[in-house]
Amino acid sequence: MSKPLQCSVCDAVATVHLTQITQGKVHKMHYCEACANKGGAGDAAVFQLADVVTAATTVAPAIVCPTCQFSDVDFRRSGRLGCPDCWPVFLEALDGLLAKVQHQVQHIGRAPNGTLALGQIRHRLQVAQGAIAKAIADEDYEAAARLRDEIAQLSAQLPTE
Amino acid sequence: MSVQDILAAENELTHMLGAQQAVVLSTRVRLARNLSGFPFPGWAKPAQRKEIANRCIDAFTKLPRFKKAHVFKMGDLPDMERAVLVERHLVSKELAAGKSGAAVISRDQTCSVMINEEDHIRLQVVKAGWHLRGTWNIAEQLDEALGASLGLAFSDRLGFLTACPTNVGTGLRASAMVHLPGLCLAGHIEKVSRALNQDGLAVRGWLGEGTEAAGNIFQISNQQTLGLSEDAIMKHLGTWIKSLVEQEWNARRKLAAEEGPRFVDRIARSLGVLRSAYLLSSAESMNMLSHLRMACDMGCLPEANRHVIDRLMIEGQPAHVQSRRGEELDSDGRDMRRAASIREALSAFPEVGSPTA
Ligand SMILES: [Zn+2]
Ligand SMILES: [Zn+2]
Repeated sequence: MSKPLQCSVCDAVATVHLTQITQGKVHKMHYCEACANKGGAGDAAVFQLADVVTAATTVAPAIVCPTCQFSDVDFRRSGRLGCPDCWPVFLEALDGLLAKVQHQVQHIGRAPNGTLALGQIRHRLQVAQGAIAKAIADEDYEAAARLRDEIAQLSAQLPTE
Repeated sequence: MSVQDILAAENELTHMLGAQQAVVLSTRVRLARNLSGFPFPGWAKPAQRKEIANRCIDAFTKLPRFKKAHVFKMGDLPDMERAVLVERHLVSKELAAGKSGAAVISRDQTCSVMINEEDHIRLQVVKAGWHLRGTWNIAEQLDEALGASLGLAFSDRLGFLTACPTNVGTGLRASAMVHLPGLCLAGHIEKVSRALNQDGLAVRGWLGEGTEAAGNIFQISNQQTLGLSEDAIMKHLGTWIKSLVEQEWNARRKLAAEEGPRFVDRIARSLGVLRSAYLLSSAESMNMLSHLRMACDMGCLPEANRHVIDRLMIEGQPAHVQSRRGEELDSDGRDMRRAASIREALSAFPEVGSPTA
């Protein structure tokens, strides 16, 4: 075995390895469990998170959640939000950060009680519409018919605009 | 009800209740959920945390999967018992350290919930071997039941709202615990781990161990939780795990072919040491047990013995050794007890043969 990698904070053996991709460049980060948790990572890239948010909020006026009084200063310290209502309040400030750690900023997974979230309905519609065009081009009418039903069913779940 | 029950009970990971496999030790699905109308645990007042815990414990213990579940309040447990739960991956180090959190653990230890960790609810389902669909199906059922009984924080744009931006959206962390001695021995593990990282998967070592790769065991999980459907997240992980299993088998076969008798010798020496040593450190035993596990996969030892190895890996962790003994032990004491139980468990193992797989 080669020598274990060291934590980039404290020189202990690193067990958490993170990859950051910023502007097309890949940065490897190594942390021991303790530093990863201290940094608020738990799971992923919160070290950089904190930096990004500092940069984004030092110039902007303080943001405070009206529901729970959590502020951007608190976020800089902990890397966590105060309550579910903080999300809309902080969303604008977090947008760049979300794009960075999550690459996407629209949920397309499950919603509570097993219903589909709007994002997922739109996503599935998009996929089905692409597939139906291909099915028609391939003269696969059986598949096209099935997709047409699926599109109708999905469209019915979207709110009328 | 105590952590001793957890240690004594036959369960998914230590007693082969689930289907056991070469390479993939276990599959895990974790969902982060929060109640709407309450601050996240890190920002909530003690009274609010109590209220959250009561609601969550009440909701979970009503579900059939959690019938007669263990309910542990971290503040009520001695250090050693909390450490056992951490070593079993049933609670995180953070929950164990916090003292204001709680855990609900199903009888067979496949389903567990951390309450008031970073989020109000961290639901986890684990199965031995590679069973992502089966694991997910259980998590989804539980999540559905939960959504019906508790008001969950959710937004159309951001999905399930979590305390940390790294979990928002699906709140899903899907992972596999993989055993990769072939890739480690062949010196390919860094390259493989880099490739995984670059494709959005995190690679961690076996929890609670000082070295990166104790026992050549790694946990692979998705990093992105937002903007991908649960299905897409699992497919992505699944594709990689399938490829990893193939690469691992290729590395093992190549090694066995190239090394010939030296391949068998390495395994036989590990068995010899484990069967006769008087002191065994956690790291040393993990690495030697890793050779034996590979031997069971490859027919050098009977496959039926593999679950014994998995159990010894889990039970050889420091808090487990001490809890079974019922007292705190110093490092020598732990190494002595660990060696004794490994000696006993391996006494009936047959001699190591040539690989057949
Ligand atoms: Zn460190
Ligand atoms: Zn708030």
